[in-house]
This record gives sequence, C-alpha cells and structure tokens, in this order.
Amino acid sequence: MRQQPSNQISRKGLTVWRLYGTIQSVIILAIAVGLGFLSYFFEWPIWIMIVVTVIVLLYAFLSIYLFPKISWQRWRYEVREAEIELQHGLFIVNRTLIPMVRVQHVDTAEGPILRKYGLASITISTAATTHSIPALVTEEADELRNRISTFARVAKDDV
Amino acid sequence: MSEPHYKLHWISAVVETAKALKDLIGPFVILVFVNGFKGESTAPWYIQYWSLILFGVLLIFTLVSGIVKWRRFDYWFEDQELRIVSGLFIRKKRYIPFDRIQSLDYTEGIFHRPFQLVKVKIETAGSSSGKDAEAELTAITKEAAQQIEKEIKQSKKMKVIGPKPALFDQIEWQLIREPEEEVQIAQQPAPVVFSMTTKDLLMLATTSGGIGVILSGAIVFLSQIEELIPYDWLFGELKSFIRIGIFVIAALVALGFLIVWLLSIAMTFLANYDFKVMREKDDLVITRGLLEKKRVTVPLKRVQNITIIENPIRQLFGYGAVIINSAGGVGEGSRIKLFPLAKRNRIVEPLQELFPTIDFSEPIEKIGGRGKRFYYRFKLLVTLIAIAVVSYNFFPYGLLMLLLLPLVGLHGIWQYKTAAYTILPKQLTMRFRIVSRQTVFTEKNRIQSMELDQNYFHRRKKVATITANVKSGMTLDAPAIRHMSQEDAEKFLSWYEYHPESTESQTEPDN
Repeated sequence: MRQQPSNQISRKGLTVWRLYGTIQSVIILAIAVGLGFLSYFFEWPIWIMIVVTVIVLLYAFLSIYLFPKISWQRWRYEVREAEIELQHGLFIVNRTLIPMVRVQHVDTAEGPILRKYGLASITISTAATTHSIPALVTEEADELRNRISTFARVAKDDV
Repeated sequence: MSEPHYKLHWISAVVETAKALKDLIGPFVILVFVNGFKGESTAPWYIQYWSLILFGVLLIFTLVSGIVKWRRFDYWFEDQELRIVSGLFIRKKRYIPFDRIQSLDYTEGIFHRPFQLVKVKIETAGSSSGKDAEAELTAITKEAAQQIEKEIKQSKKMKVIGPKPALFDQIEWQLIREPEEEVQIAQQPAPVVFSMTTKDLLMLATTSGGIGVILSGAIVFLSQIEELIPYDWLFGELKSFIRIGIFVIAALVALGFLIVWLLSIAMTFLANYDFKVMREKDDLVITRGLLEKKRVTVPLKRVQNITIIENPIRQLFGYGAVIINSAGGVGEGSRIKLFPLAKRNRIVEPLQELFPTIDFSEPIEKIGGRGKRFYYRFKLLVTLIAIAVVSYNFFPYGLLMLLLLPLVGLHGIWQYKTAAYTILPKQLTMRFRIVSRQTVFTEKNRIQSMELDQNYFHRRKKVATITANVKSGMTLDAPAIRHMSQEDAEKFLSWYEYHPESTESQTEPDN
C-alpha cells in the first residue's frame, strides 16, 4: 500500500466549502419557494411539493454536510524536493504526481470568501495540465508557491 | 534599413478569392432555391431578385478583397527576422525572429503547380494565438521559399553577442552576431525512412475511416432532398410503378453508397499519394499528395509520444498506423500521421531508426484478473437498462436487443485481454483499446504528470486506473490503462517518482 501524501488542507477550507454549499442550498430553496407559490395558486397536486421539499433537504444535506466532509478528509498534498503529490476526490479518488522539472509556473489566488478566512488556493501548471490545491492558509500558500518555484528552477530540465 | 521587400505571387489573389468563394457556395445554393421557385410575380426585377443582386455585390467584394490582400502584403528579411506587413486600413506588422521559427510547412495546391509556387506556413515554438500558424505566405515561388530557408539557416549559424546600439550615436538597437565556426554539412538528399507502396496505399484507401465521414454527409444530404421531392404526389400518380419505384430507389441508394465509397478511396489515394518520411538532421520531414503536395517538418525533439494504432480489420491483416504527438503545432497539427498504414513488421524498423532511444518491443505485463469484471460489468448494466426501456415500449421486437448483451460482454473481455504494459527505466509502453488497439510508447521525461484513479468499487477490489499525461500541441494526450491491480498501478507511481541515487548513476547508458 502506498503512503498517503502527508499534509491536509486547512481546516478552514472545510468551513468555506460548507459556506459554498449553504449559498447553493439557499438558491435552490428560493427556487423551491417560488414553485411552492405556483403550486398554491394553480392548485397543483400535493406530491410535487413533497418531491421538491425532499430534493431541497437532500441537496442541503449533501452539499453542506456530507460532500465537503468527504472531500476535506480526502484532500492530501505533499511537496517534496523533486515532486508534488496530490490526492483528492469525492466518488473517484485521484492521486497525481507532478515532477518539479515539469512545473511551468505556480499561481496563488484568493477570492473574497477565501480571503475573509485568510485562505488562498494554489494552481500548479505543467506544459499540458493544471492542478490546484483549493484552500491553504495564505502564508502557507505563499511559502509553498515560493518553495515550488525555487525547486522548479533548481531541478534540471531534460525536455 | 533598405532591405528589398518581396511580394507574393499574383496567384495568391486567386487562391484567397477561391477560398472565400468556397465559403459562399452554401448560401448561394440556398438563394437559388429560394428565388428560383417563387413563380410569376409582377414586382419589378430588382425587387424580385434583390437577394441575387446582393449576392453579386458580395461576389465582387470578395474578388476585390482578394486582390487587395495580395497587393497590400509585403515581406522582407531584416535584422535576423522575417517581417511581414499586411492589411489595407489596419496595417498589421509581424516580426518573427529566425531563432524562433520551428518549422516551415509547404503546400502545393492545384493553383500553385502550373507556376512552380508553394504555400509556406511558418510555425514558431509558442503559437501564441493557439489557433493559426504564426504566419502564412499564400503563394511564393520555390526559389523564394528556398531563400527563406537559406536566410534562416545562415542566421542560425550566427552567434548572438548581445544587443548593442547600431551606431554609437544612435538610439536604435540591433543584435550583433558573429558567425560560428562553420559546420560542414554534406549536401545530399535526406534518406527516405519510410514510403508507402501502392499496395499499402490501396489498402489504406479502401479501409480508411474517411468513408464514414462522407457517408454521413451523404445521408444528411439525402435527408434534405427527401423534403424537396413530393413523394405523396409521386406515389399517388404512379401507383402502378410503386414496386418498380422502390426497387429503383433501393438501387439508386446502393449506387450512391458505391459512388461515395469510390470517392473516398480516390480522395484518400490522392491525399496520401507518394507518402514519404525523411530525416533531415534533427527534423522529420513528411511529404505527400498528388494534386496538392504537402510537406510538413516536425523537429524530432518535440515529439512527445508515439502511438501504433491497429483497427480490428487492419490488425487482422497485420497492418497498423503510426501517430506521433508533437509539442508544437495547433489542433490537428499536433497529432501527426507518421505512417498512415504499413505492415506491422515494416513499422518497427523505420521507427527505431527515427527514435533510437525508444524500445519498440511489445508490452508484456498483463494487468491481472482482479480488474477483469470492471471491463464489462458496468457496461452490461447500462445495456440491460436500455434493453428494458426499449422492450417495454416495443414489446415483442424490443427483446431482440437482448442479442446486444453477449456483444457488449465480449467487447469488454476483448478490451481486458488487450490491456498490457511494460515499464522500462526510462520509458513506458502502454497498450489498450476502445475499438482500435493502441500501443503508446512514451519516454519518462515526456510525461508531464501521472494520475492514479480509483472509484468506490475499485477501492473495494484494490483496482486502479493509471493515466500518463503528455503534451500535445496546446492540449494534452492522456493514454490510460484501466482497472489494473492496485499494486501494479502503484508501481507506475513509484517508477515515475524521482530517485536521486538511481538517476545520478544512470548516465546515459544508451549512448
């Protein structure tokens, strides 16, 4: 059995994902309420509202509680001298190995919500693919970006 | 600053116009149909035919713009750069340093041939737009093309000393270069590594996939025609001929298919006629075509991986095709047919000559029985659902769909049996199939990243899928071996990982 990558992403990342899930659920809820009014005025059969309610509850449960929890627990990364290893996924667990020599550039980005929690995401680009780590403490992300770009410069390019 | 400026040959105006006209054919046909069957009308002729008149204006505009494009296009060589100025109102200037030019691709179309002209496509390392080649000279004489090549070659022999002011009292900067020591290159024609025999060519033409494209085009066309022919009226009027009519239609359709097929054979034949692969120093040169001659150059060091593709029919006859992924080029330009078709035993030798560092032996490791069920279980489930739906709706006859089940299952097992791999110290060989069998040879240092994927069921059975991402033009090529045992999949990752002790001691044993 291969070892999992050692580092987990920030605990606050889970909070942010829950927040995203909540926002989405609120939007779904708003649509459901709209449907509720329609079904009241047009006297639609009652089962439509039951189905809609179940969908909203299920969506909220999955997007606020279950999915963020699973993804967060699964998210692992490790930056070694010669390569970066990532592990993530909800239904499909994906493990990616990116050698430092292949790294073309590294970006960090922070949206309004991420910044509020002092987080940033990191994007690692090779010539053909891009990979990202979604939520790291900003200082850690900056440090990681610098470290990767230093390693990437040191590693001998043989393409 | 007074370098001679060159113009394209006037035939480029014709080529540009012809290209634009080709795009106008569709709308024109529609216009004729719409206008032609309107019947009698009392409106004045210019109202009756306004659309055709509009079209005429458009036609004249196209002609004029073709000529303008040609007249307002200049290119010249200056300061180790190819410089191009084009456009009527907006003068577009493009300077391409010779150092950045990766390859020149030549095409000789039917307009070019009588005048000894070529179309030159100039590609650079990072085609910035990701859409077009860096520059295109629509029609120049062969001597002019040779001159470009000569200029580029000469500049590449120069060594850049650094940017310096051109004259000490001028602010303008220029690169100062000095000639490097001359490397004597024997001027002899490049050796032909691969060429297609007429037999191969015929085999290619008759089994080509192009037939599918043309057939579907024909079907779309026929379905359009159907709406124009008043079948009801026809059948009502010619009741007695119905039986014969059906026969005639069937015969016509069959004839149509035959013609389409022959057409596709002819097209493939013309496009690949005299197919040759040559090696010029560090470049791969591919030439082909009878009516339109094409010459494509691929720098060998940009080749990312090599795939041997054998579709089932060709595999049966021992034939295969070779495709290479290049880091340069855009769109289709990055997936290049190196050998369109050749006997399997004639493939390896020329490949070995072109890529001496790659081992082209067959992959030998099988993926293990644990993954077998994943190749058919899910597909069978999906098929069963489809069969259930169809059978419910078309009761007795829908059950015929059950025949699909063994086919789907066998296809899965077939895929499972094909999957194989070999891990060499510096190379990965992967074999898999969807329908055609693909064998991909990739050098370790061409793999951009490697992925191991496992879904829920995979994890329970300790099975995984391995993907090796490789650059192909602006995008990526991602060959994958699916559902192999987890231990084997992890071997791929371990192999791909950096091992300081082994790489240091491993100093080019292949040289």
